[in-house]
Amino acid sequence: MHDVSTNEQERLAALARYAILDTSAEDAFDELVQLASTICGAPIALISLVDASRQWFKARIGIAKSETPRQISFCTHAIRQRDLFVVHDARLDPRFADNPLVTGEPHIRFYAGAPLMTPDGHNLGTICVIDRRPRLLADPQRRALTALARQVVVQLELRREIAEKAIAEERLARVVEGSNDGFWDWNIAGGAVQFSERAVAMLGYAPGELEPRVDTWERLVHPDDYPAMMSVLNDHLAGRREQYESEHRRRSKDGAWVWILDRGKVVARDRDGCPRRMAGTYSDVSKRKRAERELDRFFDVSLDLLCIAGMDGRFRRLNPAFHQVLGYTIDELCAVPFIDLVHPDDRAATAAEVAKLRDGETTRYFENRYLRKDGAIRWIAWTASPATDEGLIYAAGRDVTRTKLTEHELRRSEARTRSIIDNAPGGLITTDARGVIESVNPAAERMLGYAAAEMQGGRLDILLNATFDLYTALDRITELPVRRRNGETFTCELSLFEFYAADDQRHFAANLLDVSERHVVERMKRDFISTVSHELRTPLTAIRGSLGLLASGVVGELPAEARPVISVAERNSIRLISLINDILDFDRLESGKMTMQLRPTPLKPVLERSIESISAVALQDGVRIELHCNGASVLGDEERLLQVTVNLLSNAVKYSSRGDTVTVSASVEGESVEVRVADRGRGIPADLQKKLFHRFERADSSDARPKPGTGLGLAICKAIVEQHGGAIGVASREGMGSTFWFRIPAAGAAQ
Amino acid sequence: MKVLVIDDEEDVRYVARLSLGRVGGMDVVEATNGQEGIARARAERPDFILLDMMMPGMDGAATFRALHADPETADIPVVFLTAKAMASEVQRLKNLGARGVVLKPFDPMTLADEIRAILGG
Repeated sequence: MHDVSTNEQERLAALARYAILDTSAEDAFDELVQLASTICGAPIALISLVDASRQWFKARIGIAKSETPRQISFCTHAIRQRDLFVVHDARLDPRFADNPLVTGEPHIRFYAGAPLMTPDGHNLGTICVIDRRPRLLADPQRRALTALARQVVVQLELRREIAEKAIAEERLARVVEGSNDGFWDWNIAGGAVQFSERAVAMLGYAPGELEPRVDTWERLVHPDDYPAMMSVLNDHLAGRREQYESEHRRRSKDGAWVWILDRGKVVARDRDGCPRRMAGTYSDVSKRKRAERELDRFFDVSLDLLCIAGMDGRFRRLNPAFHQVLGYTIDELCAVPFIDLVHPDDRAATAAEVAKLRDGETTRYFENRYLRKDGAIRWIAWTASPATDEGLIYAAGRDVTRTKLTEHELRRSEARTRSIIDNAPGGLITTDARGVIESVNPAAERMLGYAAAEMQGGRLDILLNATFDLYTALDRITELPVRRRNGETFTCELSLFEFYAADDQRHFAANLLDVSERHVVERMKRDFISTVSHELRTPLTAIRGSLGLLASGVVGELPAEARPVISVAERNSIRLISLINDILDFDRLESGKMTMQLRPTPLKPVLERSIESISAVALQDGVRIELHCNGASVLGDEERLLQVTVNLLSNAVKYSSRGDTVTVSASVEGESVEVRVADRGRGIPADLQKKLFHRFERADSSDARPKPGTGLGLAICKAIVEQHGGAIGVASREGMGSTFWFRIPAAGAAQ
Repeated sequence: MKVLVIDDEEDVRYVARLSLGRVGGMDVVEATNGQEGIARARAERPDFILLDMMMPGMDGAATFRALHADPETADIPVVFLTAKAMASEVQRLKNLGARGVVLKPFDPMTLADEIRAILGG
């Protein structure tokens, strides 16, 4: 037995644990005080519990009050000792003589109290007997009272245990409810299983819908999962495994499969050690399983490399993309430290990156080269995150080989393009869609005298002092005077084109050429031609004049043999003059210096004048010229049209035979007038017809009998006709003659 | 009919002299430059002057302006002789006040007729 605890606080706490104060009367306790009263022959018997300031009676006989103040209580004294406390005559006891319970009601003379000692040594109170006269207590009575005290404690203990159990059960129920797990309890021999409500609800059943037997349960397991589950279960039942744990699918009431985590343990065995009862829990892990499966699928379908590696530098888990990219099987890849697969030049950097991961740093972007099984290099870009407590690295890699190569190509191509632009002799300026300058090449900087940075952001049209909307010049070559920074002006040939850059925005590019020098050269060339031509004319005047005078006999008759010689010289000097005239005409036409005075011009006089000018030659060659012309008028330069028709006529006569007729006709064709000069000569081969109007092409280039001419006549005609806004051509068949025609706008036609 | 030919080229003057004198039956006097031409014009009082355009020093145009400014020679018709065959050039010379323009090289057999036509027209 324990000693009496002297700690009042602990005693009061112990009393509180029994939760007995102020409870209702109970038969068990009432019977015990009845017994005490009877055994001891005392009129008053109590079960008194000593609280902080009172004593409260759980059961009482012979007294009405249910409690009295503690200071006057006899029990307070009784609980200080472990054995029975007896006062034979209170009047004679100095501790109680003045006690109001002694001096007044109920006039206590005798008291005997047995302490109610708990198993842990606290005296909660007493069971006591009281008499109004002094008396003694026999030994059997003393023992009986002590025994009754023990019975009171037994009763108190019992009540406390029941109460505590109830609380524990309630708590457990709450836990079960809250855990969302199902419980099962399997009587192994009989096969009966008790399922909790949640256990059956997990599969969509109502309580009682499933027969509570183990085979019911087993039938619901997915056939694919069944063998593994049974193997684990048998291992556990046979004692080869500490705990039973299995993840498997079970069919729910609606036919769907539910993933269950089933865990349990044998809780009772018979005397031979054979398992008798087993209990456990079900958890619905479908959500987790689904998540895992989803993760697995992503892992499998990913084009990127996904892996889990150990801090030891070996792969733990790889997705199939690794095989695709590196050519090795997954097993081969897991068999070696991954650093062995890295390009030797990248191993140091890779090791450093892994070291950082080991220290808990995340890899945001890291590139290294891996060697494929076939020896090819693959560039892989990595992101990785360490799980230091697991000792794992989670990494995702992307094969960026193509991008790398493209990047390389791109850089090379860019450098090449840049180099071309930088070294181009022409200025190149690009602008945005509004004409704001974006880039300027060095040639443009030199040309304009500004640094690129000074021009960027400015407007191209302002830079070039353009007096017109630049964009009307798109895809055309324009010349304009441009001022350099130093105030000099130069002639700039501008070609403007649009392009779309990678940003899908419209941009313009201006190609600038300083053509001042070219202009000077062109002018010099023209001046040269014109000077040479003019300088030729003066001696030719003397030659031609002298020969003409000689041939005419004005300065004396020539010997008969000399006449044809002089005639050859005269004819060729005339031909030389024509050539010079044609060259000058053609040069002026080409340089745009020959200006046309276009005005309404009656055609007939023009044709008559041209026939007249050629008539002498025609007469000499025996060729007749016919004219068919009504009153058609054209919009033209009379002198130039004359030049054209004379040219065509002279050709026609030249290629006609004696006795032939050349026909000149003109007619209105819609808004144009067509002039035709037809001969009956030998015609022109089809392949020559088009070339005829080019410089120095002759209808008789390959002819054995060349006709005199400069080869520029038709080219001049073409240029003149085109400057009239017209067209020129020929229709001819070999042996059937040729018809040269030109068409120019009629006088009334819209200009 | 008396004609003054002003041209710096001796050979051209020679052909012109034959052409106008022998073929055309005119009296031909000559000058080798503008200055001399003006002096001879005053002295000879020709019926017309055939004036070369391109001459060193005083060119045809300057000579013409001098002749035109001088009351003694202002009324003598001038026909220009030029190697520049462009219509614009011909027009420019006519605008100066020339009676006509003859292009180099000319046909020696028809030169006199051509000039008579110009003067007569």
